[in-house]
Amino acid sequence: MSVRHVLTTCPYCGTGCNFFLQVVDGRLTSVVPCKTDEISLGRLCIKGYNAHAFVQHADRLMHPMIREGGQLRNASWDQALDKIVRKLKAIKEKHGPDSIAMLASAKCTNEENYLFQKLARAVIGTNNVDHCARLCHASTVTGLLHSFGSGAMTNTIPEFDNADCIFVTGSNTLEAHPIIGSRMLRAKEKGAKIIVVDPRDTPLSRISHLYLSQRPGTDIAWINGMVKVIIDEGLVNEGFVKTRTTAFEELKEAVKDYTPEKVERTTGIPKEKLIEAARIYAKADKAMLAYAMGITQHSNGTDIVKGLANLAMVAGHIGKESTGVNPLRGQCNVQGACDSGGLPNLYPGYQRVDDEAVRAKFEKAWGVSLPAKPGLTLTSAINEAASGRLKAMVIFGENVMISDPDLNHVEEAVKKLEFLVVSDIFLTETAQLADVVLPAACYAEKDGTFTNTDRAIRVLRKAVDAPGEARADWVIACDLGRKFGSNGFGFSSPAKIMAEMTTVTPIFGGISYEKIDSKVVRWPCPAKDHPGTRILHTQKFTRGLGLFAPVQHAPPAEVVSEEYPFILTTGRNLFQYHTGTMTRRSPKLEREAPEPYVEINRGDAKRLGIGDGERVMVSSRRGSITLKARVTERIIPGTVFIPFHYAEAAANRLTNAALDPISKIPEFKVCAAKVAKA
Amino acid sequence: MNDLGKKLARLAFEERGADFLLAMREEHGNVAPAMVSKGEDVGDVRLEVPYQLVTILENIYPWISKGKIAIITRRCDEKALAELAKRKYVDDKRIIKIGLACTEEQIERCRCEDPVPSHVDVGEPHAAVKGDELSARLAKMSQEDRLAFWVGQYKKCNKCFGCTLTCPVCFCDDDCVLEERTFVAEPSIPPGLSFHMVRSYHMIDKCIECGECERACPAEIPLLTMRKLLAKDMKEVFKFAPGDEKTVSPLNTTLEGELMGDECDEC
Repeated sequence: MSVRHVLTTCPYCGTGCNFFLQVVDGRLTSVVPCKTDEISLGRLCIKGYNAHAFVQHADRLMHPMIREGGQLRNASWDQALDKIVRKLKAIKEKHGPDSIAMLASAKCTNEENYLFQKLARAVIGTNNVDHCARLCHASTVTGLLHSFGSGAMTNTIPEFDNADCIFVTGSNTLEAHPIIGSRMLRAKEKGAKIIVVDPRDTPLSRISHLYLSQRPGTDIAWINGMVKVIIDEGLVNEGFVKTRTTAFEELKEAVKDYTPEKVERTTGIPKEKLIEAARIYAKADKAMLAYAMGITQHSNGTDIVKGLANLAMVAGHIGKESTGVNPLRGQCNVQGACDSGGLPNLYPGYQRVDDEAVRAKFEKAWGVSLPAKPGLTLTSAINEAASGRLKAMVIFGENVMISDPDLNHVEEAVKKLEFLVVSDIFLTETAQLADVVLPAACYAEKDGTFTNTDRAIRVLRKAVDAPGEARADWVIACDLGRKFGSNGFGFSSPAKIMAEMTTVTPIFGGISYEKIDSKVVRWPCPAKDHPGTRILHTQKFTRGLGLFAPVQHAPPAEVVSEEYPFILTTGRNLFQYHTGTMTRRSPKLEREAPEPYVEINRGDAKRLGIGDGERVMVSSRRGSITLKARVTERIIPGTVFIPFHYAEAAANRLTNAALDPISKIPEFKVCAAKVAKA
Repeated sequence: MNDLGKKLARLAFEERGADFLLAMREEHGNVAPAMVSKGEDVGDVRLEVPYQLVTILENIYPWISKGKIAIITRRCDEKALAELAKRKYVDDKRIIKIGLACTEEQIERCRCEDPVPSHVDVGEPHAAVKGDELSARLAKMSQEDRLAFWVGQYKKCNKCFGCTLTCPVCFCDDDCVLEERTFVAEPSIPPGLSFHMVRSYHMIDKCIECGECERACPAEIPLLTMRKLLAKDMKEVFKFAPGDEKTVSPLNTTLEGELMGDECDEC
């Protein structure tokens, strides 16, 4: 009889709560909160408490599969891996290495992502490696890199406790990052003012001091409006602007026309509320700005992020305790998948592939010559597949057939591929289309690390064995590398992979398994004796001076029309997670939110004769889905909301794949739609 | 193994004949619950972090078909075990209690009026705290203000169900009717007062005021205060307090002439 409590990291959002998996004789029985964990403080959300439920589910993939005669059939590991190597070699030979793309994964560990990008770059010879950060915070990385020189959360989760003002926009924090949300509640109890800007009424907006509801797609207008109020009312932190920033005059010029009256006309936010929000934020001693997909998922997402950086710098709320610009990352290791180089233009540690000195360093470390040209982004790869130029994709733990915009287009593209490999824990909608399916171990079945949203390296510890023949993705990547004939994949453990990664990744330079086993360490951690960094940009910005960016409001890529009079916006709910592969197999979570729905304002519903719970058809220029109406006051008139978790009525059949020109993030948050009784 | 670990190993395995010991120890810079078999290294035991070990025992108990389990028991754990044994969720004869006296700090945090276990094996006994400051403050408020206070608190609930999952005397777990649609409407966050109120009343003859629900609550709703207020009513109305194996809950007794089981056709 053996009972173990294995300390590990939650596989859901980017908060990075640690908890214990309770294991009785190899059976996962429950999740026990870790009371001494600095991040979670021994509290969990409903997803965390149910994080054991899908692990030993009967649907888990147990054996590799190869498509034969249109059907997926069980195969041995050798057969599956040999087929992958043979096919990819042939495609590379015929069409060149850039005809192959690899998707790394925000659900896999840092060590695994390091290997995925190494496999793409050093073995296949292409920079075509990306992952779903492209769909969530790509514009944060580009925007904040421009303004500050570093694209990550500037401050840390525990600091929310002590802020005087918490300004949240485009983040449904209590549903999408519940334990960060609970820190905000805590700050509120201690007297902090909470300001929420969101087109939807959220659990957080309901307890906020000030709630501003903007029309989707008008963010730069209200952000510039707030900056103008701060300038006009003499609330600028002059000292900070003078000593720490540059291009303030350009900013002043850029915002001069954003009067509260004009902003009200554009955004629908009453001018008094805008002015009050600006005053509270600027006057606060310690103000933390937090945001998520509501800001980033726009065709001008990079500019909106720069706008928020302007706002924080004008008020001087950065570089100190309980301040900063804090993008809340949505997946357990989306921060880490970026840190580890799962990006087409960046090596691990945000080092550019087109920087010759950097490339030379990696060529020396890996003993191969590397491609200089930045690779395809996830969104561009889909387009290239559709046009027939991309021939093969190797996908680790991503489900593009639900998560990407304009799914009809994605499906067409994926089906056009000559060869598709998917490694996953369940037979996802994407895996169903694959030529080779590899069964992977999930978070509870392997060692490794995740980087959470506040840059802390969180440890995963193996609690149970993977089912059947399933293998950890780092093992699969090593197997593939070896079968390709590379000698850079002889790793016997994730610790050894991390040891290599730290030698080429300065921000991880001082990380070792020994160090992070008992301590929370946040990057940058450049040296062995370095304790890690809690707050970024304390003395100077990573890029030197903070750069004000003169950004301007522009309408979304798609605006409403007579035929499509509604704005459709998409997002998550508290109980389901992303494409639902894990949560929909967790009985308690599925019970809470078992079916797709569209939120529609009471007035709109009445006008269209739609009752609560009735079935409706929602259509955009790209497709239609049928689902239940939730008639509510939660959403402003003229806008409808659909959570994107449900394959049976996938919101992404409707969304627009219009891309932000810089970050290539799609505009998930705005498209034109119509609603009719089904 | 630290000195405390050695002491507990001796107490549990040598002196009292246990086959397992359920305690807390240091692991990876944190404090973890640990179930140790006889002969295994107990490790560096740390008792200052209030894990609700009875809840953990309850989770694993169905899988442990034989052997005696020693468990670190504070006074509230002792009472929780009494409630479990009374309802035959655990066999008293298989449980060996190792009494832990709470620290002053813990007593303060739980506003605990009954902090010393019947037999102290570890820790120094400290005096009880008289009364709960928030209860006193609420008592002075008008009924409307009191209601507004609780409505405001419960509005922060984010439906993690941590209060039920971590509770040592909330034993229905997978079949909890409280989490069903009747009490917790699907689209609603927060779940509405019915969930919290029904839960409060449902626990009224079992709650041993350990405070674990309050510690687990991400929204920091003062759940322990609510429990204490209800416990006070229970004492006044029924002269009953949970935590004694010999007493029977007044809610389990029937009144004269009351219809039993299938005699009742009202529902």
